[in-house]
Amino acid sequence: MQAPATPNSQDPEVLDRIIAQIETGRLELPLLPQTASQILSLCQSADCTMQELADLLQRDPTLAANVLRVANSAAHGAVEPIVSLQQAASRLGFSTLCEIATAIAVRGKIFTLRGREAELARMWRHSATAGTWAKEIARKRRRNVEGAFLCGLLHDVGRPVLMQLVHELAGPAANAHVEGEQRVYDHFHAEVGARLLVSWAMPAWMVAAIDSHHAPAQAGEHAEAAWIVALADDLAHWSEQPGAEADKALRAHPALEPLSLYEEDLDALLALRERVAAAAEAIS
Amino acid sequence: MSDAAHYEFVVIGAGPAGQKAAVQAAKLGKRVLLIDREGAVGGECVHRGTIPSKALRHSAQQLAALRGPECAWMQASLAENTTVQGLMQRLDAVLRAHEQYMGRQIERNGIAHVQGRARFVGPQELEIERPRANRMAVRADFVLIASGSRPRLPAGIPIDHEHVLDSDSILSLIYLPKSLLVLGAGIIACEFASIFQALGVRVTIIDKARAPMAFLDADLSAAYVRSFEEAGGKFLSGRSVAEVTVDPLGWVVTQLDDGSRVRTEKMLCAQGRIANLAGLNLQAVGIAPNARGHLDVDAHGRTSVPTIYAAGDVIGPPALATSAMEQGRRAAQHAFGASEALAPESLPSGVYTIPELATVGLSEAQVRERLGGALVGRASYAELARGQINGSSDGFIKLVAGPDGRKIAGCHIAGENASELVHVAQIAMVAGLQVDAFVDQIFNFPTFAEGFRVAALDLIAQRERATQVKRAA
Repeated sequence: MQAPATPNSQDPEVLDRIIAQIETGRLELPLLPQTASQILSLCQSADCTMQELADLLQRDPTLAANVLRVANSAAHGAVEPIVSLQQAASRLGFSTLCEIATAIAVRGKIFTLRGREAELARMWRHSATAGTWAKEIARKRRRNVEGAFLCGLLHDVGRPVLMQLVHELAGPAANAHVEGEQRVYDHFHAEVGARLLVSWAMPAWMVAAIDSHHAPAQAGEHAEAAWIVALADDLAHWSEQPGAEADKALRAHPALEPLSLYEEDLDALLALRERVAAAAEAIS
Repeated sequence: MSDAAHYEFVVIGAGPAGQKAAVQAAKLGKRVLLIDREGAVGGECVHRGTIPSKALRHSAQQLAALRGPECAWMQASLAENTTVQGLMQRLDAVLRAHEQYMGRQIERNGIAHVQGRARFVGPQELEIERPRANRMAVRADFVLIASGSRPRLPAGIPIDHEHVLDSDSILSLIYLPKSLLVLGAGIIACEFASIFQALGVRVTIIDKARAPMAFLDADLSAAYVRSFEEAGGKFLSGRSVAEVTVDPLGWVVTQLDDGSRVRTEKMLCAQGRIANLAGLNLQAVGIAPNARGHLDVDAHGRTSVPTIYAAGDVIGPPALATSAMEQGRRAAQHAFGASEALAPESLPSGVYTIPELATVGLSEAQVRERLGGALVGRASYAELARGQINGSSDGFIKLVAGPDGRKIAGCHIAGENASELVHVAQIAMVAGLQVDAFVDQIFNFPTFAEGFRVAALDLIAQRERATQVKRAA
C-alpha cells in the first residue's frame, strides 16, 4: 500500500486548473452510465424478472454482446456456446450477471480515452481483479459480499475520470501525455473517485472506502471496508506481478491486523489467485 | 520456552467472559495477559452479535411503533433504498463508546492485551500467532479459555454470505430484502426474524421443532408465534430442509421434507453456534471437547487440567453474556484462592425479539413436573394503565408457584420492558419472598410493574380456591 505522490509546482497549467477545480469542488463529473444505473436498481428489486434484465441489456447491443462474451468465457465454465441472455442468466446467475453488466457499462463510459487505450485496459484489468479480490476478502471475513465487488472495481475510478478531464482541458492533443499528470492522478484519484460515487448516489460506506483506500484507518466507522479495498488493491498488484518481493509485502500488509487475517487465512486467499484471475479476465 | 514471557493469568478471548475474568484477576493483583484474535476488546458479542443486532432492533421497534394503531394518522414507511447499515446509525457511536470504556478498563487495571491466536504447547505454555508479527511464547500459572463461538455451518446449506447468510453476515446486508427465510428457531433466529418482520420484510421461519425457543415457558413461545404471525410472518414448524439452492435469478429455493418449496430473496441460517476450540491444540494438554463440542468444567469453571479454566460459550448453555461474565469472574477468583460469590440459583434471560421476552426460574411445565403441580397467576398488559397508554396491550406477566401457591418458582414476561421487569421477580426469588409480598407492596402508577401485583392477586385467588376445595373435600 503506497502513499500517493504529492503534485509539485512544475506541473503544467492544465493540471493547476484541474487541481483548482478539485479544491473548489467545481469538478464536472461524469454521470453514472444510464444502463448501469438501471441495472443496479433492477438488481435491487425483488420483483425483477430475467426478462426485464434481458430487455434492458438488449437495448445496448454492445453491452449485450459483452455479457454473452463473459458468459462464454472459461471462467464461467462455458462448455456449450451461450447464444441468448436467458441462457447467460442460467449460467452466471442473476447477481453475477448484474455485476458484469454494471462493470461493462461503467467501463464503456469511464475507462475510455482515445490514444490511451492500452493504459486504460491495464487499469481496468487491475480494477476488475481488485473487485474480485474484495469479494473474496469479504467472504473470508464472513461479511456480506454484495457491494464488495463494486467497491473494489471502482477503487481507482478517479484515475480515468481525471485523465478524461485533463485531456479535455489539454485540447486536441488528447493522446499526448501531459507532463506531471501522473502525480495529480496519484494524489487526487481517491478523492475524485469518492466524489464521483457521491454524485452517483452510492452508499456512504462505499464512498468512504474509496476515499480512504490509501489511508484506511481514516475511514472511521467504514474502516473495515476501506481495509478490504486496500488489501484487494495490493492483492491485485500481486496477482499481476507475483514474486518473492510481492509475497513478502503481502505477508506484512497493514490490513492483516485490522482484518484479523492470519497466515492460514492469507494462504487460503492467495490460493484463489487463478480463480480470481480467470474471473477478472472474463470481464476485461 | 525459557525466554517466554511469564503471566500469572492468561485469558484467551476478550469477550464478556474473558474480559471480566482478566479484570477480576488484575484486581487480585495478578499479572494478566488478554489475547484475542480480533484487535478490539469485546468479542463477537460486541462487534457482531448482541450490540449490533440490538441497534437494528431499536430501529425496527421504532418503525413498528410508528406503523401501529396509535400512529394510524401518519403513514410511516422506509425509503426505497434503505440500507441495513443506515438502520443501525447509532451503532458506530455505541461501539466506540463501549470499546473505549472497555479499553480504559483493561488499561487502568494494567492488563497486557495482544491480538493473536493462542495455541497450547503445554498446560502452562502457549504460543501466540500474531498477524504481521513473530510468534510469541508465553508461560502462565493459570489459563482461561474464553474463546467464544461462531455460527454453525450445517451440512448442505450453501452459506455464501450473498444469498444465504449467517447471523454475522446478515448484519452487513446492504439493502433490506423483500423476503427472508430464517432457518432455525432458537433465540438468534427468532430475534432476527421478528426484527426483519418489523422492518417490512416477509419472513418465514422453518424449524424441526413444534415451537420456537423450546426451552422457554410454553406461554412465552406461543406469545412470540402469535405476535409474529399477526404481523404477517409464517412459522413452519416440524419441518426439515431437504435441499437449498440458489436459482439463476438469485432466489433462494428451499425444498422441505414435506415436498413443499419456499422461494425467498435471502436466507438466514441460524442453526446454533459452535465453540471456537479448533486451533487451540487442546490435545497437547489432554482436554477433549464433549459430544456437543463444548468443554466440561466443574462448579468453579475448571477443566480436567487443574491450571486450565473455561468460561462463556465454550462451556455451552446458557451461553449468555451475563452468565459468561459471571463464569469468568468466578474462574479467576477460584484460580487465585479468592472467595467466590455464591453461584446464583437462577439466571434471568432476556430475549430481544419483538415482543421482548424474559424469564427467570422454572417454566410452568418444569414446576408441575418437579413440584407435582403448579399455580399460575397472570396479568395482562391490557389490564394495566401503562399498557393502555403505551399501546402495549398484548404483553403479560406470569408468576408460577408450586401447588401450595406460596413461593415463586418462576416468572415469565412477554412485552415491553420484559427484560427489565423480570429482575423484580428475580430479586423476590433470591430473597425467598412469598407471592403475597407483591400484594403487600405499593407500586408506582401507572407502570408495568403493577402487573406483579395483579398476577400475585390472581395466584392468591387460585390458592384460596384450592384451599376451599381441599377443605370441602
